[in-house]
Amino acid sequence: MLTVLVSGLAIGALYAATGLAYNIMFSTSKVLSVTTGHICMLGGVFGAYFMLDLGLPAPVALVGAVLVGAAFGLLTEVIAIRRVLARSDEHLWLLSTLALATMVQQAVGLWWGTEPRPFPRLADQDFTAGVLDQKYWLPIAAVVAMALGLEFFYRRTMYGKVFQAVSEDAFAARARGIATDRTRALSFAIAGALGGLAGFAAGQLTFAFFALGLTLTLYGFIALAVGGLGSNVGALVGGVALGLFQTLATYLFGGEYQQTIAVGLLMVVLLVKPEGLFGSKKVRPV
Amino acid sequence: MTTSSLPRLGTLAVGGILAVTLPFWVGDFYQLHLAALIGVYWVLISGLNLVVGYTGQLSIGHVGLLSIGSYAFAILVGRYGVDPLLTLALAGGLGGLCGFLLGLPSLRLPGFYFAMATMAFALIMAELSLAQGDLTGGGAGLPVPGFAAPFDTPTGFYWLVLLVAALITWMTWNVARLMWGRGLIALRDSEVAAAAVGVPIFRLKLTVFTFSGVTAGIGGALFASLQSYITPETFVFELGLFFFVCIIIGGRGSILGPFVGTVVLTALPEMVAPLAKLGNFFYGLLLLAVVLVVPEGIGHVIKSVMARLQKKGPEPKGLQPDIGRLAAAVRRGMRQDIQRGHAS
Repeated sequence: MLTVLVSGLAIGALYAATGLAYNIMFSTSKVLSVTTGHICMLGGVFGAYFMLDLGLPAPVALVGAVLVGAAFGLLTEVIAIRRVLARSDEHLWLLSTLALATMVQQAVGLWWGTEPRPFPRLADQDFTAGVLDQKYWLPIAAVVAMALGLEFFYRRTMYGKVFQAVSEDAFAARARGIATDRTRALSFAIAGALGGLAGFAAGQLTFAFFALGLTLTLYGFIALAVGGLGSNVGALVGGVALGLFQTLATYLFGGEYQQTIAVGLLMVVLLVKPEGLFGSKKVRPV
Repeated sequence: MTTSSLPRLGTLAVGGILAVTLPFWVGDFYQLHLAALIGVYWVLISGLNLVVGYTGQLSIGHVGLLSIGSYAFAILVGRYGVDPLLTLALAGGLGGLCGFLLGLPSLRLPGFYFAMATMAFALIMAELSLAQGDLTGGGAGLPVPGFAAPFDTPTGFYWLVLLVAALITWMTWNVARLMWGRGLIALRDSEVAAAAVGVPIFRLKLTVFTFSGVTAGIGGALFASLQSYITPETFVFELGLFFFVCIIIGGRGSILGPFVGTVVLTALPEMVAPLAKLGNFFYGLLLLAVVLVVPEGIGHVIKSVMARLQKKGPEPKGLQPDIGRLAAAVRRGMRQDIQRGHAS
């Protein structure tokens, strides 16, 4: 039972990290990118590639995975967001990020193979540790570090305040001399770096698997929608709740209905509280 | 309208004759199979086109509805021996019901939420078809019987598909060009404006989505019969993405564009072997290129190129100014100005 709870916390931490990455991009661009889960997938796959195929030590591989994530985040902004946001059709960004996500998933599938490959051990620890095993505490520690770091960044640094200004009102921020385009690009790079970190930390839990991206895109989004769009606390709570809910349901009813249960949770929350648990009620139809 | 309808009718007639006689001039059975596959896809896509192309609801998970139709057909005909043609109608009804139930909560959600809900639906359907082993055969799959006497040959089946596809295209065309279609387009372009002029937004969305569920169910039944064996692997999420890409690439708000998109995207990977290996990468690249370069779709590009070739442009209004009246009016105005000048 304890194992169930801890593994739920760990997988929930990964969902929460994906939700955080969504939030970072959403705050500056008002775009929910379909590629969010694929960033984490790239972190895991490239981490395994650096360590297994190239034989690099774990810290170097971590830096490499984070850099790959950041590069992919930036690439998403440059290719799929920048040009599309210039036009004012609200659906186009969904299509362009979906297209990019499909391409990345297929490219990784062709290059890396469609079978999940094991992710190497990061710390020296034998397999008898049970619930204290590194595959559980690594993602949890990573997401806690991410959340604290983001909080510090938003509250204490100049750039964080610039981010908040852009997220509150992009036009006003622009009028005050903030380069909103550059801020947006930077936010995508940061989201990519954090997503890469999360994917790397959770690699032993999820394996290096090319189809992970789409699942994470969905679950990260569910975590975020349950917790409330735009709220980091909401992403954490939603992610952990979703992870616990899923593993408990698997423990009680068997593993065949994971997605059904996750979506059921989403639907219930959306019907009862459409803006999510911690979301702000900002409806502006016109 | 009257000047352009005659050549258009001619094109339609030629296309119809070509489509009907296709089994006689096509090279081999494989190409006939491909043509039937295009027809089956089109049955689903023409319904989906009303949802995606006209109403602007981005449903990327119609493959879930397709699988419902397929499994319904396989189970009812294969296990219980129900008449295939009756089952075709039943599959449509079941697809419509599931579309209605899916649309009821999810159509209230805004864009991205709706897309995610339909995607989740497709994943759930894949999960359920694996989990409910006694009903669907689980991972091993189910064999699917063919249709009865006149439609049991490849040629006969092709004609059946053609008939259904033509019928559904005609229905969607009727929806699209009359008041309904106007309402849908208004809804797509601005929900608030549409609501303000009295378009019943939610009911319209739900009706169209239910209709697309019906076509998806019928398409699924035909699809299953064409494939002759279905497993959960047949209905991967990427297939739903493929339907969606066909419409976006063809162009939103038209019927011909998505049709061309369906034909090209189905046939191209089969004809050009390297593209088949790239598969989804190719579709993604195409989607990205279309979104970035021509968001209106390729159908729109063809239309504008045709218009430029014909040098038609907007017709000159043919309004001759009445010089005498104009001069009189100008003179009167000047006189008034002068008088006003005197008064002040």
